[in-house]
Amino acid sequence: MLGLMTTDLNLDDSSVDPLSKEELLARVALGDELAFGELYDQIAPRVLGLVKRLLIDHAQSEEVTQEIFLEIWQTATRYEATRGGASTWIMTMAHRRAVDRIRSSQAGRDRDSKIGIRDLAVAYDHVAETVEVRIEHERVEKAMSRLTQLQRQAVSLAYYGGYTHNEVAGMLEIPLGTVKTRLRDGLIRLRDELGVAS
Amino acid sequence: MTGPRGDNPADLTGAYALNALSADEKADVEAYLDGSESARTEVHELSETAAALGLAAEPVQPSAALRSSIMAKLASTPQLAPVAVAPAAVPPLPSVPMIPAPAEEPADGPTATSDAEASPRVGTAATRAHKRWFQRPTQVLLAAAAAVVLFVGGTFAGQAFNDNQFVEQQAAGMVQITAASDTQRAATTTSDGHSATLVWSNSLGLSAVLVKDLPALGNDQDYQLWYINAAGAAPAGTFDSTGSGTAWRVLDGAMHAGDTVGITVEPRGGSEQPTTDPIVAFQSS
Repeated sequence: MLGLMTTDLNLDDSSVDPLSKEELLARVALGDELAFGELYDQIAPRVLGLVKRLLIDHAQSEEVTQEIFLEIWQTATRYEATRGGASTWIMTMAHRRAVDRIRSSQAGRDRDSKIGIRDLAVAYDHVAETVEVRIEHERVEKAMSRLTQLQRQAVSLAYYGGYTHNEVAGMLEIPLGTVKTRLRDGLIRLRDELGVAS
Repeated sequence: MTGPRGDNPADLTGAYALNALSADEKADVEAYLDGSESARTEVHELSETAAALGLAAEPVQPSAALRSSIMAKLASTPQLAPVAVAPAAVPPLPSVPMIPAPAEEPADGPTATSDAEASPRVGTAATRAHKRWFQRPTQVLLAAAAAVVLFVGGTFAGQAFNDNQFVEQQAAGMVQITAASDTQRAATTTSDGHSATLVWSNSLGLSAVLVKDLPALGNDQDYQLWYINAAGAAPAGTFDSTGSGTAWRVLDGAMHAGDTVGITVEPRGGSEQPTTDPIVAFQSS
């Protein structure tokens, strides 16, 4: 029953609801539970998608997704639309919480045993080929392709793998200083390619 | 500039935006960001870039049970008061009203801000206190609570939690407790009739108190929380209230199963041991 739902993703959520995520978030800040439910419906699959990418285990990913949405509910009063879009705000929170979970010891060990010997360096290609229909994926894919292979590996391991820069250095067998530079240069390149500016 | 760990924090903005730093390194970068506007801008932009990577991950449909579980927890999850934003830097969004309204006076309080300097009236009344209430059984303790007359602070106490990091840590603690599999709850009223709730999780060793419309205190006093058990009363943090809405605080330190949680009014900054009778006490077993 629940398994079937994963095949029924509504990928075109913006046309279904007249209210933007930013407007919904403003209502959530006033304690509007209906608006919260709508916001959840719009973005929960994206949040869970990222969290599961990081944590692998589905049940654990749903737990963390619950924490993320309760934090959205709590802190919607502090969202500043002038500082960026609602999706950005939410995905930033989601990534931080998922990474926190990985760094909490037992969750990290469970995850490592699930990942096994999977080569995380190719993780980015997997994302690109499965969701390439979506515009933002194409944008990201295109931007990613402008990085050097080494920058791309380092950024993917850190962001999608949830590894610290120390761990990335160990996996790629390069000095930590080099990883720092690659992560920063890689992200700056991505920023410029994606046209992100504040 | 070199951080305590010998790094140049300016090199770490990328790793910071990707959450790829240890807690210590993260703190170094944040200290560095405090002093550099251009670095803050860079980190902001790189964080937005990282979020774009997040949106590119393949969506996964959550179970229906997750939605109902989250929706069921909203009512018991307090929302944070908005941070006061410097108007010159970032204009407040008109569509987001400030709640709870910080300018509101407690209904029955005197008004002048200078009143904040007035002497603590509760302290004197309650310190002639007899025995140490926190060493007595809870029943006695609750009776004592009911007998206390609480001075209602006459001035707006200000938003209790100004420090952003503290607020985030508090919010995270509250979410942990609310989302725990063994969350328990005890409801009662304070000595002057405000509804008060203790939520806790024995597995996490965490608890939080929530009090509705708790009166604001003057600048010279704080509410202080206590974990009380056979070993005595351990201070567990201070807080203040805006006088309206729900004041809440996740307690500092570890809760042990069966601990009693009490709130007293103490001189600003708190005391090492309770100096007044509690306005409320909860028994967690």
